Amino acid sequence: MSRFLGRRFAFSLTTLFLLSLLVFFVGQVLPGNVGRTILGPLADQEAVDALNRQFGLDRPIVEQYGTWIWHFLQGDMGQSYIYGVPVAPFIVQALGNSLKLALVAFMLVVPLGILGGVLAALNADRPIDRVISMGGLSATVMPEFVSGVVLIMIFGVWLRWLPISAAWPEGAGPLTQLYYVILPAIPLVLVLFGYIARMTRASMIEALDSDYTRTAVLKGLTWRRVIWRHVLRNALLPTITVIASQTGYLIGGLIVVETLFRYQGIGSLIFRAAKAKDFAMLEAGVLIIGITYAVATLLADILYSILNPRIQMETAND
Amino acid sequence: MTRNASWLDNLRAGLTPPENHLIDGYVDGRVSRREFLRHGSLLGLSLPFLGRVGLATGLGAAPSVARAAGQPGATIRVACTAPEAEIDPVLVGDYGAFLMLQQVGEFLCVDGPDLLLRPSLATSWKSNEDGSVWTFTLRKGVKFHSGGEMRADDVVATMDRLADPKNSSNALSVFKGILQSGATRKVDDYTVEFHLNGPNGNFPYLVSSDNYNAIILPASYPGHYETAWDGTGPFRLHKYTRNVGASFIRNEEYWGRKSLPARTEFTFFADIQPQILALQAGEVDIINKLPALAGVALLNDPSVNVMTIKSSAHQPVHMQCDSEVFKDPRVRQAVSLCLDREKLKTGLMKDRAIIGNDSPLASVYPSADPSVPQRKQDIRKARELMKAAGKENGFQVALTTEQYLEIPAYAQLIQRWVKEIGIDLTLDIMDRNVFYGDAVRGKSPWRDSVMGIADFGHRGVPNVFLTAILTSDGSWNSANLQNREYDALAKSYIGTLDLESQRQVAGQIQRLLLEETPVLYGYFFDHLTAMAKHIVGVQPTAMGQLFLQEAGKA
Amino acid sequence: MTDVDASHRQRRIHEVFAALFVSGSFVTGMTIVLFWALCTVLGRHLVPYDPLADDILNALAPPSAEHWFGTDQLGRDIFSRVIVGSRDILTVAPLATILATGVGTVLGLLTGYFRGVVDDVVSRFNEAMMAMPSVIVALLAIVALGTSETTVIIVIGLSFAPVIARTVRSTVLAERELDYIAAAKLRHENSMHIMFVEILPNILPPILVEFTVRLGYAIFAVATLSFIGFGLQPPSPDWGLSISTNYSMISGGYWWAVVFDALAIASLVIGINLVADGLQGALND
Repeated sequence: MSRFLGRRFAFSLTTLFLLSLLVFFVGQVLPGNVGRTILGPLADQEAVDALNRQFGLDRPIVEQYGTWIWHFLQGDMGQSYIYGVPVAPFIVQALGNSLKLALVAFMLVVPLGILGGVLAALNADRPIDRVISMGGLSATVMPEFVSGVVLIMIFGVWLRWLPISAAWPEGAGPLTQLYYVILPAIPLVLVLFGYIARMTRASMIEALDSDYTRTAVLKGLTWRRVIWRHVLRNALLPTITVIASQTGYLIGGLIVVETLFRYQGIGSLIFRAAKAKDFAMLEAGVLIIGITYAVATLLADILYSILNPRIQMETAND
Repeated sequence: MTRNASWLDNLRAGLTPPENHLIDGYVDGRVSRREFLRHGSLLGLSLPFLGRVGLATGLGAAPSVARAAGQPGATIRVACTAPEAEIDPVLVGDYGAFLMLQQVGEFLCVDGPDLLLRPSLATSWKSNEDGSVWTFTLRKGVKFHSGGEMRADDVVATMDRLADPKNSSNALSVFKGILQSGATRKVDDYTVEFHLNGPNGNFPYLVSSDNYNAIILPASYPGHYETAWDGTGPFRLHKYTRNVGASFIRNEEYWGRKSLPARTEFTFFADIQPQILALQAGEVDIINKLPALAGVALLNDPSVNVMTIKSSAHQPVHMQCDSEVFKDPRVRQAVSLCLDREKLKTGLMKDRAIIGNDSPLASVYPSADPSVPQRKQDIRKARELMKAAGKENGFQVALTTEQYLEIPAYAQLIQRWVKEIGIDLTLDIMDRNVFYGDAVRGKSPWRDSVMGIADFGHRGVPNVFLTAILTSDGSWNSANLQNREYDALAKSYIGTLDLESQRQVAGQIQRLLLEETPVLYGYFFDHLTAMAKHIVGVQPTAMGQLFLQEAGKA
Repeated sequence: MTDVDASHRQRRIHEVFAALFVSGSFVTGMTIVLFWALCTVLGRHLVPYDPLADDILNALAPPSAEHWFGTDQLGRDIFSRVIVGSRDILTVAPLATILATGVGTVLGLLTGYFRGVVDDVVSRFNEAMMAMPSVIVALLAIVALGTSETTVIIVIGLSFAPVIARTVRSTVLAERELDYIAAAKLRHENSMHIMFVEILPNILPPILVEFTVRLGYAIFAVATLSFIGFGLQPPSPDWGLSISTNYSMISGGYWWAVVFDALAIASLVIGINLVADGLQGALND
């Protein structure tokens, strides 16, 4: 187990290092320049040059990367060129927001998705299964802006039940924050519902077919007990993997939702940083998603192996 | 006229020749009342004074902003674009940021909604005879939020900070070649002199709210503006959260009338659509800057007022005069003749614009010569010109531009229209930052494209439009126009002080540009501010600033 | 490969086709997709108006006998634009998916067959790519390379490749333990032959399913990029682009400027999913 974890950990570190290099070189070919972005298209060139010198952007790029990674490894994420202040508070705040939204979406979608999957599996190939499976699958590939715009129109503009902007007032309590996050969470629920329901359905059907279910039924356990204690427990395993594989998307891939609902998450932070060539911000934002993703997959692996000791560690990576 | 002649003579005593020349033009009817007020305010004649001349000549008083009937103590909520970077008065150059600056800071004078200069931290100003030295008298009893009184030293330090190339100042694009660091001099505690590099007839606009970096800060300003948010204005900062919003509270120490609202709240948006939805959902009261096409839903909404301010903001279409396809001025004229400007105005800009005539001298400027004939759509003539230039079979060319406001729609209309004369335009529409790039030749699609559409905000005077965009060495001369005659005319326009001479030079410039057509000026669009019906007393400027001290809920 | 194998394969194909054509979801899905494919090819000749012809003085006119779906901001006929609007997305998304499937399959074969160092290195890169949400990867690349249809195809194609590579890799891992591979090795076939001639035909079904599923995501991605201004460009009547330009209009009562485009995207996406579902069902039976 520990050997397996050690190997996974080393892999994750390599992946993250590659990611930082990748972003760095993509960052180099991004058009535009920092001084110009801050001062605007119409500023005098002399002013732009002076500002870029002040940021040290005239140094060789390898040196810039070296300085940055040296500080990053010591826990210093660096300074934002654009905002003239350390990057860390931005990242922490944006990550916090992203996690909140992801959490609300998860709390809604995991029970719904599992319920949907179980219902579909118990009614396999009947109309209710077709509706859940096809509806879920279609919702998964429905662009968030299509569902988001419809939701905004219905609940924000016509009915006025829910705020259309996810920026809650200062000092709002958890309940108020929740109220503000419901609307943006729904498109995410729609996207993820299909994945989870489908996975649950498939593993449920497999579990229902399996020997241990038959044994349990033969032992005279009630159907309800069989479902709860045996089938569901086994059926949930793949669901964990699905959830873990979606963390990258849930934390950082919500640019459309964040734009539509004016939400300050990691996705739009990275997007802005990329457009402004705010290098430290870009790197930190991308790496934080990478780290979250790595941690989530690692946790999923551990969880998986605890719940299902039959899995061979060496092949879990395959 | 005779009845009041002696009063008028008394008023005129002590005025400079350009000032008297202006009054003569007004009395003789060569200058309209609006132009008279506007140019007079520029020359430093106070509005009450101008009003008295108006009375003396029997033409009514100067306009004044009446205190609206709003209830005091309201909280006014505004939707606006997010500042793109750290708020630093020396650096900022985007709408979101200078709206924030203007909430707490004030200028020597304000370019008001009617394009008249109004006194603010300066009470009056005047120039020497040739317009190379301008003297500003400062208001007494103005307190900074940080405590000290504003005096000449503070103004000198502010202007020097902005004019010094070492500070990466954004105002350099305004001051370079006109006002140098060290050229602002204190005369006494309440008088400041600006010694310019040469005569400049429009200088007060360059230290007004038009130059959005020029809020007056204490001489002791240490940098890092966001730590203190110092200024002299009617509001103080309460809280600023990057990318989210800002709130301001009434400044009880304000030198002028105390502000009506107790609090103002600004919410930042990346895009106009969510702002419209927020106004309709009742989450904000005001949208500071509404583009007509995207905002059409609000233009027809009975629960929303849309305030219209004439401005010189525009979206110029350049054609590179040294490129293979556009090197013949007849081809450029032909392209211009394809534009249906009436349709642009009514259809694209929903009648919230004035028609352009292929020169930056928009008819909102009193110096523009109205006798220059307006260019109209004429496909037949355009085809003839193409034939004469040997391009009757047309050609293909890319139109490069940015994803911003109405520009993509404008580009599509141009694409359709020039098809009539055989020109096949391919559109290349990119992100705004990418389009401007480094803004220097070789590293900017804006500067390198054979044909492109840029966007320019409002300016109270056309100087920058005339020089930077069109002169041979102009830093934004995307059209690569190299025309000595034009350069000389532009220079002479800048140096001219009196309105009639300005108009005479302007007429020459307008005619020359019609002939050359390096840049298409299809329209100049109004600045629109949308607000909920019950909101009154809001005062926007064409620059995109928003004065809220008189705002309230009726 | 023997004749027995070939005839077996042929019979299998017949079975799959038979299963497909009785599958309700496949037939429905295929009908929808074919409808849009038809519009892609013939759309220009079917529509009552030129989808690019503006009539700006007649902008935002409501649906009427003259304009069935009303007109947009520039007075263009929305019905014509919706019908023709499938063209760009149905060109870009499939090309991107083909690219992704091609690259992903090759990577999957290589890593799954050779394992070892090749596998480790390529897998780390794949993982680095997959750690990033594909929208972010695509955005960074498009900002860097500039917006054009080719860029969008390449960027989406490459950013989808790792997922396909992973699926293919795990299939290959199972396949390489089978007897026919051992037999091929005994015959001293070279690795290229084993991978592309022996293994590839046997793993085509899962690749085909993966292709249809990814096609749905590619449409999602292209529409999303267009919506945030980094995908298809005006004057393309693309649906995502139209929704992006018009979405504030619904609240002003101009619902027709958005609703039909949204329905069009929804129908295409659902159609493709029905096909994928039907295909999967038929191949697994």
